[in-house]
Amino acid sequence: MDRKTINVTINGEQYIRNVEVYMTLAEFLREEIGLTGTKIGCNEGECGGCTVIFNGRPVNSCIVLVNEIDGGDVLTIEGMSQDELHPIQEAFLEVGAVQCGFCTPGMVMSAKAILDQNHHPSEAYIRKNMEGNICRCTGYVRIMKGIILAAERMYGKAE
Amino acid sequence: MLPRFDLYEPKTIAEACALKKEHNGRILAGGTDVVIDMHGGKEFPVIIDIKGIEELETITEDENTITFGALTRHRTIEESVFFKKYYSALWDGCSQVGSVQIRHRGTLGGNICNAVPSADSIGPLQVFDAVCTVASPEGDREVALKDFFIGPKKTILGPDEILKSITIQKLKARSGSCYIKYGRRKAMDLALCGISCMIELDENDTIVKSRWSLTTAAPTSIRNYPPEEYLTGRNIKDVDLDELGKLAVKDAKPRSSWRSSAEFRIALLDEMAKRAYQNALSRALEAKTAPPLMSEETGFNVF
Repeated sequence: MDRKTINVTINGEQYIRNVEVYMTLAEFLREEIGLTGTKIGCNEGECGGCTVIFNGRPVNSCIVLVNEIDGGDVLTIEGMSQDELHPIQEAFLEVGAVQCGFCTPGMVMSAKAILDQNHHPSEAYIRKNMEGNICRCTGYVRIMKGIILAAERMYGKAE
Repeated sequence: MLPRFDLYEPKTIAEACALKKEHNGRILAGGTDVVIDMHGGKEFPVIIDIKGIEELETITEDENTITFGALTRHRTIEESVFFKKYYSALWDGCSQVGSVQIRHRGTLGGNICNAVPSADSIGPLQVFDAVCTVASPEGDREVALKDFFIGPKKTILGPDEILKSITIQKLKARSGSCYIKYGRRKAMDLALCGISCMIELDENDTIVKSRWSLTTAAPTSIRNYPPEEYLTGRNIKDVDLDELGKLAVKDAKPRSSWRSSAEFRIALLDEMAKRAYQNALSRALEAKTAPPLMSEETGFNVF
């Protein structure tokens, strides 16, 4: 087949689209649904700019083919906040974890994946689990600080 | 948009084998190699996505073995306390593949079938005497992982065969293992070279079993016999590390590439062999009993 009907939940909303199968999840989000917060950087799974949470796992949406998301659940940067910013976004703003901003949606999604799994991550744990997100402004120190601050706000200080 | 292809989504292994033969199709697992190739312009007229075949995802065990479905994800191993503690070389390898995002997608089966010499999970699997179960319409056959490769990116898989699962031998008490990867960065980098080892001790500290393998040191991942022969039957007091390092690189035939010269790879492997042995040894000395059943020790690994 070269087309498939995709029934997918994105940021809590259901979408049904009939699309050509030679499309990635990143392209589907940006071009079919119009959610352009997800950024395509390298388009080969290296930079993490297109990170979204797919069925609970952080993935590079540029290397997920669209057929696989049928029946699935996707969270993008647009789904992180409704009226108010998510605590991770607040913390990023507060500590200045954003420079040019291109990597930020991916960074926030990877940070969300970390805090979903580990409420009190060590610095080493954060470093290891953010390894797939590259910031070419090299603002890593403040990104680290932002994640630690968000963890404390959301789940309290570690014992 | 990717180059155009025709997509199939088989639900059974038999269906996948038939489709592969009929269309000479490219099997798609996690997509961390295939989709990246497509982004690079490579055309695969037919893609067969096997992720809908549920039985390929399970990990099962019996008294002597653990069997990973071909779609077992690297991250699944990485998150497991069981594999970190008892099958450390495999954990060392799986937790250093690409990045978190890649490990959530990439599979053991995909890593094996892509068959590059730098694959981080193949060397560690080899030191646990891994055997591949290959499915075809005629039935299953077993091939030792060390015999699975015929060259870079080339495997023994026939036109109607797919890799179904990988089985490793369970360790005994006083066993330990280690994989060391050398890369220029800590993430998103291929192994410049890598070395895996497993040793088992008896109650008098004599090494009764030893397995070694090399990564990016030959056209494929290879078993490494000289250090195995040197260590087997030797007491740990009589192991000369310099001798071990020399033997560990005896069969290594790395090439010079833009990543590194062959000489540098040899020098690295010599040193890494000593460290891998010492790590495996300290793990073996701590392992007073044989690993428990996988089902008895579960838990999320916070490293």
